[in-house]
Amino acid sequence: MSAGINTYKTDLREIFFTLFEQFGFGQVAGQAPFDAWGPDEARAVLQETYRFAREVLGPLNSSGDREGCRLENGAVITPKGFKDAWKKLYEQGFKTVAVSPDHGGQGGPIMLQVLIEEILSGANSAFNMYPGLAFGAAELIAECGTPEQKKLYVERMLNGTWGGTMCLTEPHAGSDVGAAKSTARKNADGTYSIRGTKIFISGGDHDLAENVVHLVLARIEGAAPGTKGLSLFIVPKIRVNADGSLAGGNDVSVGSIEHKMGIRASATCVLNFGENDGCVGELVGGVENVGMSQMFKMMNGARIAVGIQGVSLASAAYFNALEYAKDRKQGAHLSKWKDPSAPRVAIIEHPDVRRMLLEMKAHVEGIRALIVKLAMHTDKAQMMAGKDDDQAAYHRGQVELLTPLVKSYASDQAFRLCAQGIQVYGGAGYCQDYPVEQYTRDSKIFSIYEGTNHIQAMDLVGRKMGQAGGANFQQFMADVGGFIEANREHKVYGEAVKQLAAAQEGVMASAMAVLGWSQDPSKMTLIPLSANRFLNMMSELAVGWLLLDAAIIAERVGEKATGDEKAFYEGKKFSALWYARNVLPNVEQAARMMALEDTSSVEISNTAFGSI
Amino acid sequence: MKILVTAKRVEDPESKIKVKPDGSGIVQEGLKYKINPFDEIGVEEGLRLVAKHGGEVVVVSIGGKEVQEQLRHALAMGATRAVWVNHTGPLDQMGVAGLLQKVAEKEKPDLVILGKQAIDDDQNQVGQYLAEFLGWGQATFASKVESLESEQEKNKVPALQMGADNKSVRVVREVDNGLATLECALPAVVTTDLRLNLPRYASLPGIMKAKSKPIEELTPAKLSVDVTPKVQVLKMASPPPRKAGIKVPDVATLVDKLRNEAKVV
Ligand SMILES: Cc1cc2nc3c(=O)[nH]c(=O)nc-3n(C[C@H](O)[C@H](O)[C@H](O)COP(=O)(O)OP(=O)(O)OC[C@H]3O[C@@H](n4cnc5c(N)ncnc54)[C@H](O)[C@@H]3O)c2cc1C
Ligand SMILES: Cc1cc2nc3c(=O)[nH]c(=O)nc-3n(C[C@H](O)[C@H](O)[C@H](O)COP(=O)(O)OP(=O)(O)OC[C@H]3O[C@@H](n4cnc5c(N)ncnc54)[C@H](O)[C@@H]3O)c2cc1C
Repeated sequence: MSAGINTYKTDLREIFFTLFEQFGFGQVAGQAPFDAWGPDEARAVLQETYRFAREVLGPLNSSGDREGCRLENGAVITPKGFKDAWKKLYEQGFKTVAVSPDHGGQGGPIMLQVLIEEILSGANSAFNMYPGLAFGAAELIAECGTPEQKKLYVERMLNGTWGGTMCLTEPHAGSDVGAAKSTARKNADGTYSIRGTKIFISGGDHDLAENVVHLVLARIEGAAPGTKGLSLFIVPKIRVNADGSLAGGNDVSVGSIEHKMGIRASATCVLNFGENDGCVGELVGGVENVGMSQMFKMMNGARIAVGIQGVSLASAAYFNALEYAKDRKQGAHLSKWKDPSAPRVAIIEHPDVRRMLLEMKAHVEGIRALIVKLAMHTDKAQMMAGKDDDQAAYHRGQVELLTPLVKSYASDQAFRLCAQGIQVYGGAGYCQDYPVEQYTRDSKIFSIYEGTNHIQAMDLVGRKMGQAGGANFQQFMADVGGFIEANREHKVYGEAVKQLAAAQEGVMASAMAVLGWSQDPSKMTLIPLSANRFLNMMSELAVGWLLLDAAIIAERVGEKATGDEKAFYEGKKFSALWYARNVLPNVEQAARMMALEDTSSVEISNTAFGSI
Repeated sequence: MKILVTAKRVEDPESKIKVKPDGSGIVQEGLKYKINPFDEIGVEEGLRLVAKHGGEVVVVSIGGKEVQEQLRHALAMGATRAVWVNHTGPLDQMGVAGLLQKVAEKEKPDLVILGKQAIDDDQNQVGQYLAEFLGWGQATFASKVESLESEQEKNKVPALQMGADNKSVRVVREVDNGLATLECALPAVVTTDLRLNLPRYASLPGIMKAKSKPIEELTPAKLSVDVTPKVQVLKMASPPPRKAGIKVPDVATLVDKLRNEAKVV
């Protein structure tokens, strides 16, 4: 199977707007610890990433999907071209933009990194999983490992010598990670013997790097049940010597690989550890029973990465659908619908197709803005650390609060928007000749892994809302409120801002309702019943706010623009107006539904669902 | 060895180029720019040569402040330093060659590598003029025998082969009926064709290092070159839209038309 043609496209102008004009990259770059960075470097890196994505990763997207991965003699073979792409990716060094120079990185802002990741993932989301997981695992060891572990593993996992995975899931422990049965027995030399089976492990084996380093959650014999008794182990596929040379097999075998709906070029493996009692692991950081909190370091990053995957494919679907809609001729213009001899027009001339496209555009831009905002808070928290504790805490709090929104809203919308991309194409979109059907299949997993979106919603209402005594949530609402106050009478956006204000009231009322339920045992079931809805409302409020913010910035800076630039800024206006008029009213409506306190889905008996 | 490579700023072929209604030039607003792809191939070849033989790649570009972007790109790919000839306003191919001549006389490179042409005006003249002005040998349309999928290419082996003591260069040239090989004494001027190599991407560390690499600013006045154009562009126009093709009933008619109407066979 040969490499195909690239279908990935994006608009760097829009990406530059979000980074520079909306979120003030210039206020972050150039200052400690980001001294070495300026807008020119950021622009050059994004341009070169985009070129790399289109020329190297994009052509392997559909060929990788059709070929899939194979398991041969116990080893995973990735699709044709992946090995070469892996090598090229690490030659470029794009993965280490925000990595500390201590580990061979460039110490850049996360704001830039999230956009680089969007471009790499948009071109080939299945491929990008392999380096993505290696990156996350390396970062975890960099943060939690012993000095020896850092020295041995981190740089090799960041420069492509070794891959990496995260191993949580087991046959009986999916969402319920604490049910994990994998065990660890301490050996005389301080290492641990690992036994157990992990399933659904992304990149669990591959032929891209010389070794794969697994981070495995397991229970040390005698430790407490549940997540509290889990410890985290570094378990390389091939044992390694202290100097980094390979020392031979470590009794980690691939039981099978899954045959999936999407991301088919990403190997999803069943891994058996210690079937022959020969699997050795090192305890991360040398500390027992803190595995879950260590793993959360990787999971927080991975959840944001899943949100990025979401926007990346939604955006790719949008630009492909847009291009197709400008080209495909079908039907006459509405004004001539009665005239059978009227000229056929491009489908972008039809109101409903325009509606679909603007819906995609607005969501993609708003979700991207939410991701860059989250990243900006991460960067600012780092800048303020040790200088201004209150500011640092504020920024860290926003990162915590927005993470479940980014993971869930981006992933839910990605699948829906990709499917809408198919709708724009009509029958052609349903066929493999165009990329949108693959984007749709690939994007479905995003709402499932890294904690299903319901798990995210429960994280939001059960943990994040009440975090810091509710301060993070209140701060977020105060930030939205400040924007509303400043712009309520805006000459162009005043009406839309009022719509935002109504949405904010809806979110506030629903938050109070959730708080009330949590204090009333008879109403406890309303919380999981409403959690997804609440997460969605809050996401729509955030996205509506950021789109209006972008539009008001665009109006100011774009005042004198002409030609394509003028059209670009005008596009920001319509994204915001469309969302304010077509999505924000849903938030009010959702608040009304929350207030109905409907429990029919828990009242209905299992038999009444059907006799299956 | 020292290699001087040009880095012209050209319109990105992915931008939509429109001629101004009055024919005085193209509409520049909203256009994207990049380094001339043939020059990029030149930078790549230069980097491969210095990786093998030691030395440095110096890049040169002529134009307003904005050409620094293309110089930075070449620096990010790995060139050591840059020369910027600050000039705005009209310039013809002889003017360019005259400026490059002075830069070359100042830098004294072993080799000057240029693109065989720039993709904006597709002139294919500067390298030839430059060799003449300098009185050096020239090898245009440098290509190579191996394919762009070959192991040599993957391992970034230079296509230009240096002779003993780095006193000459052997160049495989793409010519109408195949490939021709030339040996030139150094210093020499080489222009690149498309199949010479696949240029590398600027790496992340390369982009970060480029910022602190020096760009020396010169002007036509400092170089004592009169750049008054001898060639004047009077008017630009889009090519006429292509006419619809015709269907021929059989091969005999096709051959007849090719022979008698198109006169190509
Ligand atoms: C392609 C792919 C790649 C993956 N990669 C990895 C990986 O690299 N590493 C890894 O460790 N895992 C990985 N996973 C596993 C993934 O994280 C799990 O599939 C996910 O956590 C859900 O677990 P589950 O599949 O067992 O579903 P279940 O936990 O059985 O969930 C089924 C449904 O029940 C709901 N549910 C479950 N428990 C509750 C509850 N307590 N309250 C309310 N609702 C609940 C869920 O929301 C879901 O809708 C991957 C999975 C896939 C498909
Ligand atoms: C799997 C499959 C099976 C099929 N089976 C059959 C079959 O058995 N028999 C058969 O005859 N056909 C069949 N079709 C064709 C199918 O009915 C068409 O794909 C469908 O009618 C849409 O037409 P289109 O694909 O040309 O899309 P287009 O008509 O090009 O539509 C593209 C987009 O433009 C919109 N659009 C088009 N015109 C207008 C307009 N005037 N106003 C507003 N919006 C407009 C559409 O809503 C759509 O979003 C099949 C297609 C598929 C994919």
